[in-house]
Amino acid sequence: MSEHSFQEEEFDTSLNGGTLLRILGLTRPHWKSVAGFIFAIGMVALLEAYLNFLNAQLIDDAILAGNVDRLWQIATIYGVMWIGFAFLVFTFIYLAGQLSQRVQYDLRKRLFGHLQNLSLSYYTKTPVGWIMSRATSDTERIAELVSWGLIDTTWAVMNITAALGFMFYINWQLTLVVVPLIPVLIYISIWFKERILVHYRESRRYNSEITGDYNEMITGVRIIKGLNREKTSLSEFGKLTRGMYTSSYRAAWYSALFLPAIQIASSLVVGGIIFFGGLQVQNEVGVGLTIGGLNAFIGYITFMLWPVQDMARVYASMQHAIASAERTFSLLDTEAEIVDKPNAIEVDSIAGDITFEDVGFYYNEDDVILENFNLHIKQGETIALVGHTGSGKSTLVNLLCRFYEPTGGRILFGDTDYTDLTQNTIQSRIGMVLQTPHLFSGSIRDNIRYGRLDASDEEVEQAAQLSGAHDFIAEFDDGYEEQVGEGGVLLSTGQKQLISLARAVLSKPELFIMDEATSSVDTITEYLIQKGMEHLMQGRTSVIIAHRLSTIKNADRIIVLDHGKIIEMGSHAELIRQQGHYYTLYTKQFRKEAEAKYRGDGHEEPLTA
Amino acid sequence: MPLHADVAQTETNFNVKASISRNRIQGLWQLLKGYRGRYIGAIFMLGISAVANTASLLLLRYVVDTLLNPEAEPANFFTLLVMTSLLFIGLATMRGGFAFISGAWAAEASEGIALRLRDYMFDHLQHLTFTYHDKMQTGELIQRSTSDIFAIQQFFASQAIGIGRILLLFVVNFAALLWLDVPLALFSVLVVPLVIIMSLVFFQHISKAYEKFQEQDERVSTALQENLSGVRVVKAFARQDYEIERFEKENHEKYELGLSFMRLHAFYWPVTDVLTGYQMLAGFVLGAFLVMAGEGNVFATVGPITLTGISIGTYISYMAMLGWIINPLRNLGRLIVQMTTGMVSYNRLVEVFEEDWELLGLGEKAPVDNVQGNISFKNLNFDYREGPQVLHDIDFDVEAGQTIALLGSTGSGKTTLMALLTRFYDYDNGSILLDGVELNQYPKYFLRDTIGVVEQEPFLFSTSIRENITYGVHREVTDEEVFAATRAAAVHDVILEFPEGYATKVGERGVTLSGGQKQRVTLARTLLKNPKILILDDATSSVDTETESQIRDALNNMMDNRTSFIIAHRIQSVMDADLILVMDKGRIIQRGTHDELMALDGVYRQTYDMQAQIESDLEKEIANVGA
Repeated sequence: MSEHSFQEEEFDTSLNGGTLLRILGLTRPHWKSVAGFIFAIGMVALLEAYLNFLNAQLIDDAILAGNVDRLWQIATIYGVMWIGFAFLVFTFIYLAGQLSQRVQYDLRKRLFGHLQNLSLSYYTKTPVGWIMSRATSDTERIAELVSWGLIDTTWAVMNITAALGFMFYINWQLTLVVVPLIPVLIYISIWFKERILVHYRESRRYNSEITGDYNEMITGVRIIKGLNREKTSLSEFGKLTRGMYTSSYRAAWYSALFLPAIQIASSLVVGGIIFFGGLQVQNEVGVGLTIGGLNAFIGYITFMLWPVQDMARVYASMQHAIASAERTFSLLDTEAEIVDKPNAIEVDSIAGDITFEDVGFYYNEDDVILENFNLHIKQGETIALVGHTGSGKSTLVNLLCRFYEPTGGRILFGDTDYTDLTQNTIQSRIGMVLQTPHLFSGSIRDNIRYGRLDASDEEVEQAAQLSGAHDFIAEFDDGYEEQVGEGGVLLSTGQKQLISLARAVLSKPELFIMDEATSSVDTITEYLIQKGMEHLMQGRTSVIIAHRLSTIKNADRIIVLDHGKIIEMGSHAELIRQQGHYYTLYTKQFRKEAEAKYRGDGHEEPLTA
Repeated sequence: MPLHADVAQTETNFNVKASISRNRIQGLWQLLKGYRGRYIGAIFMLGISAVANTASLLLLRYVVDTLLNPEAEPANFFTLLVMTSLLFIGLATMRGGFAFISGAWAAEASEGIALRLRDYMFDHLQHLTFTYHDKMQTGELIQRSTSDIFAIQQFFASQAIGIGRILLLFVVNFAALLWLDVPLALFSVLVVPLVIIMSLVFFQHISKAYEKFQEQDERVSTALQENLSGVRVVKAFARQDYEIERFEKENHEKYELGLSFMRLHAFYWPVTDVLTGYQMLAGFVLGAFLVMAGEGNVFATVGPITLTGISIGTYISYMAMLGWIINPLRNLGRLIVQMTTGMVSYNRLVEVFEEDWELLGLGEKAPVDNVQGNISFKNLNFDYREGPQVLHDIDFDVEAGQTIALLGSTGSGKTTLMALLTRFYDYDNGSILLDGVELNQYPKYFLRDTIGVVEQEPFLFSTSIRENITYGVHREVTDEEVFAATRAAAVHDVILEFPEGYATKVGERGVTLSGGQKQRVTLARTLLKNPKILILDDATSSVDTETESQIRDALNNMMDNRTSFIIAHRIQSVMDADLILVMDKGRIIQRGTHDELMALDGVYRQTYDMQAQIESDLEKEIANVGA
């Protein structure tokens, strides 16, 4: 039954054999299940055909012949067959169901593992939503193909073959009347499939536009009301809903006509069989068709309708699954851009001076971000990076963490080119606090412990105290066990920052990197964050993308960046005296912060130059 | 059944709100209004289709008993044979034809209902009050507008009609069976109640198992989503292995739940297969004995029931009918369970539809062409139904053409006060007069045409910049008019720099505007409307100081003959106003012109001093460092 209607969106029109093989390859470790359910479904189709044949025997050999022994014999075969049939049905549903879940599970596991190794550059290029779809709907479709897709195909092939086989056995001349029906049915099927899909896809498109419109109307309802726009909005929306009505109606129209068309086409053949069968019985032309035989013929033809009718759906979902697989495989085939050298070494410490030596960098060749960039950071020094959006601050930090590698020149930790070290060596010794701190759902304690997984509860709390997070955590009903919600939504930005500071403290990093938040934070939290940062910066090399005056002023060295170049460098006092870019930035920021403070809003506005 | 069914004219007139009912069945029935004929027709057509199907089975009986019976030797055998074959094809065509009509009508009805619900929902939501939108989540409303309406559509398109189909097939075929042979018919449906019960129990279980599976599915997605959005943290702490382990837990749980869900299916279908198979077998055997007894002869007597012999033709049509009676019933439970979800969706829609509209056209005072712009607030108090009082004793007069500035910290009530002017919220304590007439005597739409507001948080629609600017003007607008507005808002040159100028799309599928640019576009949008009364609610907060003063000059020219309200934080923005109101905690604590207020020792002068203080602090600071 075509309960499942055709599924959404566009996909390739061609079947790609290579991809298909690779999809089938996914079932290799579970080939026994596959063999099992293919055997079971094949037997099911065969049994169904045989039961229909048994009906013919029941009528001809037992009933019409008046043979009671034969009747009981057939009934017994029936009874046994039904048990066998039920067992086979159980087997194929169970095995195919299991395989489908298993293949999804395997694929998700592989995808996840692979994603963990991909470089950050991949994530900046690829929207999270895209990756999510690969791991969710696409894996599901691929799994459907290797389980239910195989089942449907095997069943269809076996069903038609067995039906034709039995028909030939019963009466080959009449079977010849039936055979031409098959291509006709296939043609009808394809004709309808195309039309249904066109309208169905159109209706999906309308549907997403309608959702978009709802969203915009609801979020912008104040503007619509203020501008008396209700009527116009509705009439514009009405165009979409009417479009959706038309395309959905047409898809339903063709669907409603599809099955009748197939039934009517096949009724022509049944009519023909009744006619020829009647002639044969009465005039004894050719090999006589028995009554049981006639009944079986009608049974077989009805029988063949299901797979044919289903074929269009199976084919469409197969195409869809292949398109899904192509995208999923492309993800799996993506290689990490940053790979450890074969002879990369692990070291106990990366503490020491850091040197940028003629470093060049671009995300794409047309747009060079850094060129011949030189910077020497002394062990223990605190560097504040200042500059406009796009000046290269984040790039510098990304390079430092080796999320990206220089496209020219080198970065030295001590005297070692950092590409000679493993990524793990570097990254496990960096403490990082992001601008919008990311927390994982779970408790506060879990989140802090993320910095060092084997830390004891005492160590976690100690880290929280050092970073200034302890007080607000203690105020929660559940204290450290308080849940932070997905992405930390239940906490304020300031609180999230304090927790991520604690996380960094716990990891005892040798290099501390922070991207200060641009959003405003209340004064007390701001003070606590300041204290936490100071603790982390003590005696450690620290690089801060700074937005707040207090941070900037306290840095050992301020670096003003513009278009990937250092345009000013020095201490606060030195740069003020120069009266250059820093001076302008500083005075502007000073006014902003001071105003906010005086206004008593409790906010300190960050520098967002 | 044309392929090009037009949307029925009744659509625009159908009153969804009047149709709703707390009684779901009644409500769904009301919703069908206008399509009832079609819909009942669709079910009726299914019935005819089932009758045609059963008739062809009975025709088979005739064929077997008369035409194929070597003993019968009917006269005009050949003609009869041709006629029967054609009749068979005819019946099949009838069966298919009526099924098609049924499908098309059901689609027309269900899509038509979905259309009227979608349209009404849209219109309804944009007419609900601000208070309602303040308290509702966007996601929640979208969910109702999409999934819940889809569920109702499915209710009509597939569930109600599917249940009808199963019942009709049962009734028609069972009736035919009874006609053929009463005892055999009764004997053959012994298992039916059991199948129905099993189906109901099973599908209830399966929907629960599926729900669990879905929940886990969401957890897997969430886990992945979190990992992806936290990828920097994962890398920065080199926690890949830990993450893989964490994901594995959720992933494996989903696998397990998927398995248990599949297992339920793997048991249900074979068990019912055996059940129905044995029922059929028992019927077949009994029938076989009846045939062998010879038509009309008594086969056996069991208590009051006498079993009589039947013909082979009867037997053959019996075999076919039995399948049509029993097999569809196995799916009954699925449809019933799905139907209950559709009904829950109806309730969720009713909850939204029950909310009252904000009445835009209501008002005793007819709209006037020549609004002067004199406004008086008298003893106005206000609170948002739930919550503390927001405005206290607001009392002031504005003469037409004046500029009023409101100064005060966040939460002092400035924005609320302005929202009362456009009657985004209704006041009921005190009075506001526009040209001497109480505000709530004017229709709301008139007030909103007369008063232009530039909001603090700019909102643009995802369409072209030009369409965004002309959004509030309900007539054709020339480019010159648009440019005049954008020039005044100091955004014309910015727009021209975009790849497609005024045709550039904004939002997700277009360019991203900075906060300041957005504010200026919304300013242009309001200026183009040329309102008699203008409200600027901190409308240039994200615009840099230079551009801001440029805008201020342009506005000064345009403000001459209109009443304007300016909400701002900085003294420079308010000092030229005819009247400055300093607000605090919902009260006006100071009022007067700049000069008057400067002469007083109060918040206004403090603010002024503060801003001067900042400048001198800065100078000192820099001098310190320089020394």
